Amino acid sequence: MASLIHCPHCGVRPKEEFSIRGDASLVRPDPDSSDETWNDYVHIRANPRGRYREHWQHVAGCRRWLVVERDTLTHEVFLVTDGSVRAWELGR
Amino acid sequence: MVHQFQERHALEELVPLEAAASADHLAVVVRQAIVTVLAADGHERAVASVLSSDEDISVRFSAPGEWLVVSGAQTPELLHQALSALLGETAYCIDQSHGRVLLRLSGPNARAILAKGVGIDLHPSAFQIGQSANVLCAHISINLALVGGDQFEIIVMRSFAESLLHDLRQMGRAFDLSVSFSP
Repeated sequence: MASLIHCPHCGVRPKEEFSIRGDASLVRPDPDSSDETWNDYVHIRANPRGRYREHWQHVAGCRRWLVVERDTLTHEVFLVTDGSVRAWELGR
Repeated sequence: MVHQFQERHALEELVPLEAAASADHLAVVVRQAIVTVLAADGHERAVASVLSSDEDISVRFSAPGEWLVVSGAQTPELLHQALSALLGETAYCIDQSHGRVLLRLSGPNARAILAKGVGIDLHPSAFQIGQSANVLCAHISINLALVGGDQFEIIVMRSFAESLLHDLRQMGRAFDLSVSFSP
């Protein structure tokens, strides 16, 4: 259930403790990119039915940014990792 | 009885100085020293072991590499000085004594009262003595710690204390929760 998120630092918590920022797969474009690229990055979002990876912040708990992979249809949560771990994996 | 406050407590005039305590009681702690300790990058484990080896202080987990250190005996200035000297360059210590309010909830129904607003498992086997957590209580973020068998300590930001007190009174109404300043 997406209403319960297993925070890697705090344990199982209700979703009310979190703030959702959205798509975690976005990569910030080069500063010199075209306006169109920036417009896509800032405003244009897919609204997928199924598996989706998002940034969640545990605002009422450890206040860390997490990457939550969940299914938008079934509310099943597959993976929750700390944002810094995810960034390290991606080599950012 | 004369009480001398160093400064105005956030809940002054909202809570009686003395009240007949019923079985379940919420005590508002008047004097406390609270310091936030934030470990410097890469020193998280070292700071954690130094803090856990000091028996004069109570350490509350807040986030990875971040703790709230509470002392009932020391003054805010002395606690801040002692921690700064103890941890040196490995951590940043910030005095929060006047920015936070410490509440002590105790009694046989303490868990039932908290369960109305807190979304974590408070069963003694799941939340043990000495354990602490940042949680949402109703709509307010608090640090909850179990300090004794059925004695919890709540640390809340000063400006949210009045609202949290209102919520806790509502949560405790069914159990005849009494509220007063701690002597």
